[in-house]
Amino acid sequence: MDTPENVRRKESTGKLQIATPGDGSYLAYIRSIITDLAGKIGFPEDEIAKIEMAVDEACSNVLEHAYARDKKWHWQHRDPEIRLDIRTEDGRLVIEINDHGQRVDLSDYRPTNIDERIQQMKPGGYGIFIMRNFMDEVQYSSSETTGNTLRLVKYLKKP
Amino acid sequence: MKDFRIEREGRGPVQLVRLSGSLDMYSFPRLETQLNTLFQQGHYCVVLDCRDLDYIGSAGLGALIGFAKQAREHSGDVKLLNVPERIYKIIELLGFTKVLQVHNAEDAALGAFARA
Repeated sequence: MDTPENVRRKESTGKLQIATPGDGSYLAYIRSIITDLAGKIGFPEDEIAKIEMAVDEACSNVLEHAYARDKKWHWQHRDPEIRLDIRTEDGRLVIEINDHGQRVDLSDYRPTNIDERIQQMKPGGYGIFIMRNFMDEVQYSSSETTGNTLRLVKYLKKP
Repeated sequence: MKDFRIEREGRGPVQLVRLSGSLDMYSFPRLETQLNTLFQQGHYCVVLDCRDLDYIGSAGLGALIGFAKQAREHSGDVKLLNVPERIYKIIELLGFTKVLQVHNAEDAALGAFARA
């Protein structure tokens, strides 16, 4: 797929960095990059679908919460951007999703009973559950100097 | 990767809405507007044909069960038709198929309203 205008892309052996404007119209491009890469390194189709959904949830959360228009954030003088650092190492895919929006700490999230939410037909609140259940590692970090990073890891084969 | 598209046609008392492309947080508001419009017009029996859908995110799934709930409160429903296997596996794994009816044939989806 061609790289859209306004997207920065850097690639080296085993590493890919892409930076897109913080806008929902780039989510499809991000998903296509992730599914393509996951396929190339040998993930089966079912696992690729899970990785795709987890990354989409993570990026959607950045747009919805970190870059929420009605709230102020530390780097508001800069245009919203999502930067993904993607690498393969030791049989695992590591995807770091970086933003400079407001801190949204996943540790504040209280696990919900997804079966109960679905049975009650609740319209939202599934994103973090999906990330935690579809990926092998989910870690959030935040720094005044470098911004926020959500690190998602998927093992090609379970250690 | 295709642009998200919505096409609607009436099938007797049921509205058949064909979706194509990706249903994510960016495109979902368009489907939300379409379903809200149908509900405002009193059309609570809706079949979403997903044959050409290539992705659905949790925002879309969550909202769909919200719309299905609203429709059921008015003796209708929002049912899914022709869900691609890749998407079906994900929504089944998450448990959404416990509350959303999924059909593989248009006649069965439309007929399910008649039987309800």
